[in-house]
Amino acid sequence: MAALTAALVGSTVTGATAQSHSETSILIYSEKNRIRATEGNFTLSKQLKNDYTLNLRLTYDGLTGATPTGASPSRYAQTITRASGGKTIAVPAGEHPVDNSFKDTRFAAEAGFSRPLGRLNTATFGAHASSEHDYTSLGINGGIARDFNRRNTTLGLSLSVARDVSKPVGGYHVPFTDIEAEIDDDRETRLERFSGKKRNVYDVILSMTQVLDRQTLLLLNLSLNRASGYLTDPYKIISLVQAPDGGDPGEPVGAIFENRPDSRNKNAVFAELRRHLGRSTAGLQYRYFWDSWGVVAHSVDATLRFDFKQRGAIHPRVRWYHQSEADIYQPFLVQGVPLPAYASSDSRLAAFDAYTLGLTYSVPVRNGSRLNITAEYYAQRGDRSPPEAFGSLLSFDLFPKLDVIMLRLGYERDF
Amino acid sequence: MKIRRIASRAIVSLVISCLPGGCASVGVEVWERDVLSKPEMQLNHQANNRTIDDHIYFSKEAASGGRGFGGGGCGCN
Repeated sequence: MAALTAALVGSTVTGATAQSHSETSILIYSEKNRIRATEGNFTLSKQLKNDYTLNLRLTYDGLTGATPTGASPSRYAQTITRASGGKTIAVPAGEHPVDNSFKDTRFAAEAGFSRPLGRLNTATFGAHASSEHDYTSLGINGGIARDFNRRNTTLGLSLSVARDVSKPVGGYHVPFTDIEAEIDDDRETRLERFSGKKRNVYDVILSMTQVLDRQTLLLLNLSLNRASGYLTDPYKIISLVQAPDGGDPGEPVGAIFENRPDSRNKNAVFAELRRHLGRSTAGLQYRYFWDSWGVVAHSVDATLRFDFKQRGAIHPRVRWYHQSEADIYQPFLVQGVPLPAYASSDSRLAAFDAYTLGLTYSVPVRNGSRLNITAEYYAQRGDRSPPEAFGSLLSFDLFPKLDVIMLRLGYERDF
Repeated sequence: MKIRRIASRAIVSLVISCLPGGCASVGVEVWERDVLSKPEMQLNHQANNRTIDDHIYFSKEAASGGRGFGGGGCGCN
């Protein structure tokens, strides 16, 4: 969806000749000791008559490996019941409990169509569908952009509506219930647990693209997103640990399913500056993000393209990201203390910094086609020992750090 | 809260001020777009790489959106 929107807002002010374009790529994604994924992508942007454009994107990915359950490490070996039911997980002493039976495939398709409306307006319409064995999403989007000031300014407004359905493996669990609790197996309960939980997602983007001078382009976006419905992660659990005055303070004694609010508003201000510098092109992006769960995030992404004329181009890239902790984030809950209204131990809602280092080499293979080879390293580092930790929790790294290597190979063609 | 109000208002004011007339002095003429029309100056340059990255960040970080639509379409573990 991101690609189609960017194409809408940026297509007119630069005066670039519209051209059909396709890219086929494969991505190998590998987290250290965790998830591995292989993803294939096909994108097509086809120019039709009367300046109509058709955009298509197909994605297929397969994931396997281990994902954190959200439970706390312990000084002793633990046995944890999987949220998806069935087998238990044996966790060695001192290690983060991970569910290593994670397996999923996803197929996603997006199609968009844009057409001029009069001399200065462009309208777009699109739809997407994606399917995993436990999650489906269907959505439509539309937008309008208008050029002003001798086509030096484009203002755009885009809207999107999506309907997602989550059908967790092992069925839906009542938030905050004990993961070991017996579940009634009567017909009515089964129907309720396996019927699927719905989520509606709405997006609005207000954008402005501005030519600043012969070499410089600026994009500014204000994006508003609202999700309502089932926002809880059905596979995440939280450990209940012994109180500071207990026999073994900080040691897990059980676990419950997490519970998130049923609505979330996400807002972002995004700016991108592109400047041509002779044989190189620099791009700088900044995003300020805040949401109704108390998360504030900053990201800065810088790219540079060095052109070697006939021998291709290289694009080094650096990204820094920081997010604050969500109000609902609780790495663990204390036994005997009343439960908060909501809680999740998902480390993606913790405070952390993330870094990306990347390099793409783009080499021409024939007239109008290129091979793109990308290698990226991505790392997340959070607070190893949050201030609320006590007892045996003080001896563990409570943020499951993440290290990822990504390799991509893409074949791009203009026609 | 203050930064959010200022940032949102700054964008809205910039957009409004660039309605006909406001930004007329900024920009170039049609015959001065030789550099801007190069593929590497397009905002959707390397769009495939950026879309793949955005999806990874969407599934690994709390923040999403900004450049494109912010949510939906993935259970994400």
